[in-house]
Amino acid sequence: MGYGRGLIVGHWVTLRRFLRTFLVGHGRTMKRRGGGYQPLDFWFGKKVRGDEPTIQQDATTEGLFTVEYPDERLPVYERFRVLPMLVYDDVDGNVRCTSCNICAKVCPPQCIWMTHAQGPDGKPVPLPADFYIDMDVCMNCGLCAEYCPFDAIKMDHNFELSNYERHQTHIFSLQDLLVSSEFYAKTHPDAYDSADEVTERNKVAKKKDQRLQKALGLGAKPASTVRPVAKVAAAPPA
Amino acid sequence: MSTPTITRPEWSTVIDPVLQKELEQHVLVTSWDKMLGMVDTVYNWGRRSSLWPLGFGLACCAIEMICTASSRFDIARFGAEVFRGSPRQADVMIVSGTVTKTMMPMIARLYDQMPEPKYVMAMGACASGGGPFKEGYNVVSGIDKYLPVDVYIPGCPPTPQALLNGLIMLQRKIDGERFTQAPWYRGDVERDVPIPVLGPDLIDVRLLEVTAEKTAQGLVEAREETLVKPTLIPAPQPEVPEVVEAVSDAPVAPKAPSKLDLLRAQAAGTAAPAAAEGTEPAKPAAKPAGKPAKKVKKAIARPSLVWLGDAGLEELAARINTRFSDGTATIIQAGLLIPSERLVAVCHYLRDDNLIKYDYLASLQSVHFEDCIEVNYHLESTTTPGKLIQLRVRTSEKEGEGEVPSVNAIWRGADFQEREVYDMMGIRFTGHPELKRILMWDGYAYWPLRKDFLEPYYEGPTKVFESRVEDGRHFRSEEFNPYGSNTKIPKDYTGWNTLDSGDDTKGKTLLPTGVEISELGTDQFMVSMGPQHPSTHGVFRMNLRVDGETIVGLKPVMGYMHRNHEKIGERNTFLMNFPFTDRLDYLTSMGNNFGYALAIEQLMGDEAKPPERAEYIRIIMAELTRVASHMWSIGFLLNDLGAFFTPALYAIEERELILDLFEWASGSRMMCNYFRFGGVAFDLPKGWIERCRGLVNNRLDGKIDELDRYLTKNEIVIDRAKGIGVLTAKEAINFSTAGPILRASGVEYDVRRAAPYGIYDRFDFKVVTGKNGDVYDRYLVRLEEMRESVKILKQACRDIPEGPILPGKKSYQIKVPAGEAYSRVENPKGELGYYVYADGSGTAYRYHVRSPSFINLTSLEQMCLGHSIADVVGILGSLDIVLGEVDR
Repeated sequence: MGYGRGLIVGHWVTLRRFLRTFLVGHGRTMKRRGGGYQPLDFWFGKKVRGDEPTIQQDATTEGLFTVEYPDERLPVYERFRVLPMLVYDDVDGNVRCTSCNICAKVCPPQCIWMTHAQGPDGKPVPLPADFYIDMDVCMNCGLCAEYCPFDAIKMDHNFELSNYERHQTHIFSLQDLLVSSEFYAKTHPDAYDSADEVTERNKVAKKKDQRLQKALGLGAKPASTVRPVAKVAAAPPA
Repeated sequence: MSTPTITRPEWSTVIDPVLQKELEQHVLVTSWDKMLGMVDTVYNWGRRSSLWPLGFGLACCAIEMICTASSRFDIARFGAEVFRGSPRQADVMIVSGTVTKTMMPMIARLYDQMPEPKYVMAMGACASGGGPFKEGYNVVSGIDKYLPVDVYIPGCPPTPQALLNGLIMLQRKIDGERFTQAPWYRGDVERDVPIPVLGPDLIDVRLLEVTAEKTAQGLVEAREETLVKPTLIPAPQPEVPEVVEAVSDAPVAPKAPSKLDLLRAQAAGTAAPAAAEGTEPAKPAAKPAGKPAKKVKKAIARPSLVWLGDAGLEELAARINTRFSDGTATIIQAGLLIPSERLVAVCHYLRDDNLIKYDYLASLQSVHFEDCIEVNYHLESTTTPGKLIQLRVRTSEKEGEGEVPSVNAIWRGADFQEREVYDMMGIRFTGHPELKRILMWDGYAYWPLRKDFLEPYYEGPTKVFESRVEDGRHFRSEEFNPYGSNTKIPKDYTGWNTLDSGDDTKGKTLLPTGVEISELGTDQFMVSMGPQHPSTHGVFRMNLRVDGETIVGLKPVMGYMHRNHEKIGERNTFLMNFPFTDRLDYLTSMGNNFGYALAIEQLMGDEAKPPERAEYIRIIMAELTRVASHMWSIGFLLNDLGAFFTPALYAIEERELILDLFEWASGSRMMCNYFRFGGVAFDLPKGWIERCRGLVNNRLDGKIDELDRYLTKNEIVIDRAKGIGVLTAKEAINFSTAGPILRASGVEYDVRRAAPYGIYDRFDFKVVTGKNGDVYDRYLVRLEEMRESVKILKQACRDIPEGPILPGKKSYQIKVPAGEAYSRVENPKGELGYYVYADGSGTAYRYHVRSPSFINLTSLEQMCLGHSIADVVGILGSLDIVLGEVDR
């Protein structure tokens, strides 16, 4: 008699789980406690791209909700890291990066290259003339962002990077990497508002401005005439 | 084939565009093109909605691929959940992970066996372009060097959502296809790829002539002439009293003025402080890369944090010297140097006659010095644990001359480890029953871990590479290699005519010999299982010899995922190596981080003592990892026992929630890179500990009970697991197995108790042991260990204090004193050890990983003999190997 019982029990376990999927959770309450769409919303209440509901699950729920990507998403945690990005200040258009090379020095697979910018007089300017990241080598470890003293390099959250070609597109240049500080503040609100970054930001902004003026040999002139030069040197993409 | 142009006059009459529009709205206007377009739509819709992937995983990315198939992401919504084990039933190959040279011929063969139409997705940085392991000598820089790739999915690893995104991209591509132009209906298009050959290196047969020509020109050798090579250091010698004062850094000798001092003095307007009496300023001395010009700080000499101790070691040395003859044991850096001719006798003595019975060979590795190659052995006793000692044996440094007696007869756990040393450094072990290459293939031209071996993409002895800092022009490593790929062949190689795509260079040499046991009088035959097999947990392969249904011989064949972790680790700065350790056993990255952090912290001493909060965070992370890994392991054990995927789906549910916690705290689901020397990278985010508490207190216990209820008394599980793959306690110790395998055999040996690290000594938990050492007991041990882990987690989550998470300021420049360290942690798979030999520079001189999965496999043959192939699958599942760690 003992034989076969295990089979029946096994099937019962699966069947019970199947039924409970509909009875417990969104079936009973018409609401998935983890968030996300209700069943009918997939047809009628769809949100626009980028505004999809997220499914946040913790110990208070049972089982595991299916995240119906691309209509629903997992919540993006602030520290989530995919590829690095470079931040420029949207106030004055200055790229925060000073091409100090620390990110290239800590990068484990050595996928970062950069060149110093040069001022009109040939002197080096604390700005990157160009900046490359080979995303076929990058291991998304986040060390560059962690050790950047100027809060210039940060980890992007965008993971939807699939494409059909790699030889032309997978080495990201400065133009591909730049994002505004506004964007960064939006994706990393906690880090952006943290005391560390606020003081660092103020300090660095001041220092960089001074250095830039000095390097351009325009130290005597008022700052307002300097700014446009900097903007031209590192114009962010629209 | 295109549709013929239409010439009928009435069709070319010009119609008023307004009328035309009206017509099209109300009348069905069609053409061949449109008609075929409709067929295309249906045809494409059918194909794109039922893409059957090949069930084939290479490395870390494969785990994310499996997660994509699990209930949370549910790839079935795209009709792609039918992972086929056979290439003949699959239409999309997801190349998920690092493509190694050893694996490349298999991948090409699999691709050729797939029927048309077929697609290839390169998942992750490694498959796309080599990834972080690109510089390794056994890594193919991107699968597109051999196969046509349809979609690239960047990321390391891409999350399941990113994979789904890639899949949607592929579906879009299929949507745009026209079946009138499909290459697979055209007879003139050759879609098969030629299978590359494993010769002196991986050779693309399409480029055979060019390769031979370039080899004859000696371009690689010419290039290497111009490069800075790694400097070798002399082996440590017995301590002369003079060295003793250098051990402690207490009396600071007057230093040469640093640059900072000079600057300060300048600012103050005073004269620069004169160089301290007699000492030359070290700065202007030509600094050979990687070699410190200054006198280096030395770490305290000790093999591991918990060991026999100086007094004990001296006493042991004296005892060995009286027992054998004087000079048999010399203490060097807290290790015993034994002359190689007396090694076997001393080892016998240590195992059988010594007061502390050293019955467990923890780790075996070798270091290439200027004047010798040193093989060193870490021995531990399971009866009186925590008494680790280190033996050293030295042999000739010259290529092909090194020879050391094998200790395989004393500790059979030495088997694979000695083969690895042979493979990597070319040292022969006399008396070893089967000294063949283990990770690379027979015929590979080099001994890769020798310091004088430069890889094809070699740029410099240590990172940071000059070109990154000075020049700034970006490049791909291929540009510098004369072959344009990751290839290096010795100039005098001549065997071009003997290369054969059909050759099984890796497995052929490892055919097991059988014993006649059958009464049926059938022939014995050989089954090669893997490396592409759904139940080998990755690219592992076994050569089985079968007599009827019974296994009479088994030889593991590995190295299909050998991605040169150790060679790369010797070039990485200490900090850089953290993310690489994540990728060892990619199911337990937090645990790997932990072990590596401990090794360097042992060298750094008190300087890197983690603050209290960091210690707690470390324990919480390590134990969450254990729960996640054991859940996975139990789920996939059931997979291997024949209950395909449903139990695995159930078991990895909670793992997803744990990964959420990891992602929240560290930024990545799998590759956490969360530990730092002396602490952790970031503090826990707000709300993290509350959610973790909720999970630990309210959810995990229930899940473990559920698994227990479903499985422990299940008759099928009992039938398939009880009495299968038995390993007695004595064998388990002798084979150096570790972790749940060792404990299931009834040996109460857990590194957390035997040699406590972190703050494990503060927690209340018990070491779970089994009785019979079979598959069932291993399952039970894992289940109970999860309960113990939850117990630890509850205590840790309750007691975690507030405070800093790092002892000092965060810095990327880490000064590690010279010395050697062996750290060990109880990873979910067993004792994970890191052996680091630091020479005082920014990188490790020698870096070795004692990998539990790898060493546990030594006992596989013993466990499988006499069982059937179906049981082998279960036994392998109960070993719970992860190929990233087996092959490193």
